[in-house]
Amino acid sequence: MKEKIRTTVSHLKRSGVDYADLRLVRKTTESIAVKNNNVESLSRDENYGFGIRVLYSGAWGFASSSIVTPAEMKRVAEEAIEIAKASATTLKKPVILAECDPYVDSYASKYEIDPFSVPLEEKIGLLLEVNSVLLKDKRAKVAKSSMDFYDTRKFFASTEGALLEQEILESGVGMEVTAIEGGEVQKRSYPSSHGGDFATRGYEFVRAMDLVGSAERVREEAVALLKAKPLPSTSATIIITGSQMALQVHESCGHPTELDRVLGTEISLAGGSFLSLDKLDNLQYGSKVVDITADASLEGGLGSFAYDDEGVKAQRSYLVKEGRFVGYLTSRETAAVLNQRSNGTMRADGWNRLPLIRMTNINLEPGEPSLEELIADTKSGYLLDTNKSWSIDDQRLNFQFGTEIAWEIRNGKLRGIFKNPVYTGITPEFWNSCDAVCNRKDWHLWGIPNCGKGEPQQVMHVAHGTSPARFHNVKIGVSR
Amino acid sequence: MIGKDRIFSTLEAILKKSPAEQTEAVLIGTTSGLTRYANSTIHQNVAETDTKIYFRTSVGKKMGVASTNSFVPEDLKRTLLNSYYLAENQRQNPDLPELPPKATYPKLQTYLKSTASFTPKQRADKVKRIFKKAAKFDLDIAGSFSTSQSEVAVVNSNGVRAYQPLTGASINVIALSPDSSGYAEGLSRRVRDLDFEAITDTAIRKCLDSKNPKEIKPGRYDVILEPCAVGSIMEWLNYIAFGARQFHEGTSFVSGKIGKKVLGENITIYDDGNDGGGIAFPFDFEGVPKKRVWLIQKGIAKGVVHNSLTAKREEGQSTGHALTPEYPEDPMALNLFVKGGNGSLRRMISSVERGLLITRFHYINGYLDTTKALMTGMTRDGTFLIKEGKVKHGLKNLRFTDSMVRAFSNVVMLSRERQVINSWWQDIGSLVCPAMLVKDFNFSGKTEF
Repeated sequence: MKEKIRTTVSHLKRSGVDYADLRLVRKTTESIAVKNNNVESLSRDENYGFGIRVLYSGAWGFASSSIVTPAEMKRVAEEAIEIAKASATTLKKPVILAECDPYVDSYASKYEIDPFSVPLEEKIGLLLEVNSVLLKDKRAKVAKSSMDFYDTRKFFASTEGALLEQEILESGVGMEVTAIEGGEVQKRSYPSSHGGDFATRGYEFVRAMDLVGSAERVREEAVALLKAKPLPSTSATIIITGSQMALQVHESCGHPTELDRVLGTEISLAGGSFLSLDKLDNLQYGSKVVDITADASLEGGLGSFAYDDEGVKAQRSYLVKEGRFVGYLTSRETAAVLNQRSNGTMRADGWNRLPLIRMTNINLEPGEPSLEELIADTKSGYLLDTNKSWSIDDQRLNFQFGTEIAWEIRNGKLRGIFKNPVYTGITPEFWNSCDAVCNRKDWHLWGIPNCGKGEPQQVMHVAHGTSPARFHNVKIGVSR
Repeated sequence: MIGKDRIFSTLEAILKKSPAEQTEAVLIGTTSGLTRYANSTIHQNVAETDTKIYFRTSVGKKMGVASTNSFVPEDLKRTLLNSYYLAENQRQNPDLPELPPKATYPKLQTYLKSTASFTPKQRADKVKRIFKKAAKFDLDIAGSFSTSQSEVAVVNSNGVRAYQPLTGASINVIALSPDSSGYAEGLSRRVRDLDFEAITDTAIRKCLDSKNPKEIKPGRYDVILEPCAVGSIMEWLNYIAFGARQFHEGTSFVSGKIGKKVLGENITIYDDGNDGGGIAFPFDFEGVPKKRVWLIQKGIAKGVVHNSLTAKREEGQSTGHALTPEYPEDPMALNLFVKGGNGSLRRMISSVERGLLITRFHYINGYLDTTKALMTGMTRDGTFLIKEGKVKHGLKNLRFTDSMVRAFSNVVMLSRERQVINSWWQDIGSLVCPAMLVKDFNFSGKTEF
């Protein structure tokens, strides 16, 4: 296969391209979903193909195919050049790429147990056991548990001489239960909603999670929410925990720091960003306790890899430091606009998609207190847990999130629960109201396998390391 | 494009080798191109050739699904056996139905050669004219323009032989000034049917008219939702309400309410894959012919869509709404129509004393409380104040949070004219929506732009 790739790249060089790269990707997926003690779906998918990206006369073209033969590679290479020529007819100024060392390397993500080798009986058995515990209450009407595994192997070769091989293995598992009584519907999930938690790990990630042991609490909370009061509409101090904090970072920091959005090239779908170029190093994005990093070199996250999809080495960089906005997520093309080198965030969700600037592991760095200390230090407020709904405007300023549950905090202690919690805010005001981020003991790298961006749309696997954090004067309970 | 004869002969040969009691193969082949632009230049321009083949096999009451994107016979056979292995290792599902029987399908014209052969150069030529027109007003253009040809086939061991070739063309245009934007879109099976001039003019006019936007306080307003805004709400109503899964899990606003009034008397919503008024597609991914399903008729909940599995649980018949095999419990309406009324956008505007005109919404989320269809989202690309029956000026964007059950019970006028709206399933369906005048729509927040 390497020979086929080398031949095609040589052909591209001879064709007079400014630059070209070829990515060959094979992805194997296994998904198991159990609902109400019944295996709802059991499927495996194999997906294989290649994509060629060409810079010709200063303009981009990209073509891809699932027919992996030398003749098809040549045809697709020529198609990519023809497409680039069409793009060039509207060119205002030629694309310039920031320099990048042409690495020749291979990498495999670390894992202990290959999930594809674990007997189906064991995986299905665990999901069914979780289901049966979730259903041990007549008000618990719908129980779901699921596992997903991804094995991705990719080659990357460029006309600059890069030749990279990467193998990345990912695992995910989760559960949810819906309780229904008298027209009231309430849901609780574990360890996170929307499919659970995911990591670049093997089956040991699943085994380390106490799924069966957690199911009873999850069910009891869902049932208890049926009788809970709605969160009042007011302004309050809130502590956001777990996966909800991850989604808060995702929507209000990760996306707006994508430099392609800032430069307007994502307007047609997801929108732009309020973090315009003049705000770099000039905006107090958050309070002094807010440090946010992008770190693809961190092990085990869904945003972990050795090289991005244009061959740039994985790295760690600050987006927000002591509250000040200091960096973007960049590609070779966008970094050149800032006279920088790319910080390695170009990722494609398959062989048939163009790499875009995507989040890697975007992390809220841990602070000082433990969660227990933070709650004890809060006289009056609410603790909000597990995402239920999300929405943010096309400049990433006005957001509104719903969570599955909230607890009242009174005089440093957790009290009763509230249903249908919603909070809303404006991104910089919100992050500037943050006065505490919990410490590393409560810090977790949450995997999010469903980040959408681009046209044709791509669904990316990203991660966020977060611990609970406290915010003041937040508008809550705004739902009607 | 592989073609009907080669697909059928190849898949039939593979199915003959199946050790399973019942076997189904579903093929989706695509050759597509998409030109994306921003800052009035093409910045992304892509093409894709792919074929996905699913095998669904059953052993007794156990089912497995495996898929590949290789049409090479050895790979197909391996994938079939993989599916059989999964079925053997499955647990019994007492609800598992037989695969659907042989059927006949209406002949629909869904493939246009002129669209299939549309080139990247032709796409570039079209968008250059858009850029040129916008430049006269000192506006930038962003958006995307795609053309595709695809084919869908379903073959099963009960004799189902379904095949449909498809083409599609869609465009969206956003015109941008430093403080305003305007949006318009088009979708058709035939690229020539896209009215590039009108789409461009609409986006430019909306952008120019919303310059120097003013702020307005959140609160309740009468709103005119243009078809794109209605379409994005309908997309979410579809996710949370009109499928058998949501209905039976009790999370839909129509759960337990069939035959009861749930929305205003002027609201009728149906799904019809054979209606050429939208993007028609005659069968589902089990090869079941699509039936017209009345979801809401004059405000009364009438039904939800089914596939074979969910229909069996109801002791009914599939309505032809199965998705691809990895989603066996998620039938979905893909050809949605909201019935129009007797009004027009002009009449709506002239009837509003004080209200808002909304071009479209951004990032709606409908999971807040699905039993009430409580949703939130932002306005985008053209929000205007209407005063004393006239559009006065552009507005800074607002966040709505409201129950769509309540909103769709407060519709006082629907336009006769309807628009075919893009969705992520645009190759095999669409949303056909009128404009709506809704009383007392709730806005919960605002932005600075």
